Amino acid sequence: MAQHGGPQQRIFSPLRTALHRFAFILLIFSAFGLMLLGKADTVLIERIRAASADLVSPVMNIVSRPAASINELTDKIYNLAHLYEENERLRRENQQLLAWQQAARNLSHENARLRELATYTSPPALNLVTSRVIADMGGAYAHSVMISAGSRDGVTKGQAVISDEGLLGRVAEAGYQASRVLLITDINSRVPVVVENSRDRAFLSGDNTNRPLLTFLTADAAVAPGDRILTSGHGGAFPPGIPIGIVSSVSENAVRVAPLFRRHQLEYLRVADYGLQGILSEERIRQSHPTKDENTTELSPDIPDGVGIVPAAPDTAGEAQ
Amino acid sequence: MKPGVWQRLDIIARGLFPAFSVFVLLLINLLPISVPLLSTASPALALMAVFYWSVNRPDLLTGVTAFLLGLVQDLLMGLPLGVSPLVLLLVQTGSASQGRFFHNKPFSVMWWGFALVAIPALLVQWLLSSALIGALLPIKATLISYVLTAVLFPIVAWVLARAQNSLLRYV
Repeated sequence: MAQHGGPQQRIFSPLRTALHRFAFILLIFSAFGLMLLGKADTVLIERIRAASADLVSPVMNIVSRPAASINELTDKIYNLAHLYEENERLRRENQQLLAWQQAARNLSHENARLRELATYTSPPALNLVTSRVIADMGGAYAHSVMISAGSRDGVTKGQAVISDEGLLGRVAEAGYQASRVLLITDINSRVPVVVENSRDRAFLSGDNTNRPLLTFLTADAAVAPGDRILTSGHGGAFPPGIPIGIVSSVSENAVRVAPLFRRHQLEYLRVADYGLQGILSEERIRQSHPTKDENTTELSPDIPDGVGIVPAAPDTAGEAQ
Repeated sequence: MKPGVWQRLDIIARGLFPAFSVFVLLLINLLPISVPLLSTASPALALMAVFYWSVNRPDLLTGVTAFLLGLVQDLLMGLPLGVSPLVLLLVQTGSASQGRFFHNKPFSVMWWGFALVAIPALLVQWLLSSALIGALLPIKATLISYVLTAVLFPIVAWVLARAQNSLLRYV
């Protein structure tokens, strides 16, 4: 730190530069080593990520509050300026919604009666955990947010995360008191969806833009701008029927969807435990190994027939994420 | 009179300030801010601070520190592991060796220097992230991020310079 002169300096300085150079090369190699390690996607990395989220979450929990109150203030100013227009819009919307309410009441009665007739088994009840957004990993490379709920609150990897407007993403890593949510716009996100009117199935694939792509659509699918996109519930990862977005553009080679949530205004989110756990967690994959030789029926009570990825053989289960 | 324990602890604490400031900027980067633009592309605050300290006090922010801070960034932001350590290490090494060039020059020279250094830094980050994810990431977000990073650098540098003058004058 302080500058020293003298003979000591003359002896040690070449040694020091050599050491520096060696350390530099070593660090470069370890950076590439980390890339390989991260690419292998081991449980270890996931645990470390979850632990680091846990570590900063108390700080972020506190400092995100003033940020939220500043946001509230700007919102209030904006709202004051647009009070009249907003009121008019809400009045019109309210009229429409009242009509819809009547329709929904009629339909729900009819639905209940039809279900009785058909002895329909209703899907498992949703278990919702509400939590606050404490960090937004905004950036050009990843689309995810951190929430202040973890395994302490019953949040586990793979659960669906829902905002007021619709599906937001899924839990990528769950720490003890904080978790990271991978948004549907992230390049690693794939969600099985269905087009509301035509019931065409597809995948919603994020590509790190604000408009994720609709992929694996059949050639004869009828999709038009303005169509609503819902989760299909296939694969058992997400509950069916959660609104995701609205088709924003249809061109020859790409159908893009505008998500319903506004990312910069996310504050409270709900994590939905559907009880299906379609996305296999590491624990379930490991659990499925010993049951191969002994009793394979051990896993079946958790997974209803025909729903979810049933880990048939351990080698295929390892490929599922 | 021998130097007191507290005095020594004080010097160590002050010496850790540059690394700590980068960490704080990382956390600021994570804050959920309700500006539509910032949710798609955010300024690389850690990059600014690493550049600033490498130019002004390379003895207090070494390559190892830059590497570790990059690792923290990757872990916290859910980025492909290993990219930020490499980028920050290269920026630290490159800027520290050119540090003398910026001494006793007006601030605008340092600003230009940073704007130049940030181009390859963000390009390498974009390229390696794309390669590791296995798909070309949209370059537009990186471009916006670059512009934000270059434009906001004076603010961060001003704050860090104030801190340097008040905390690190005798360290």
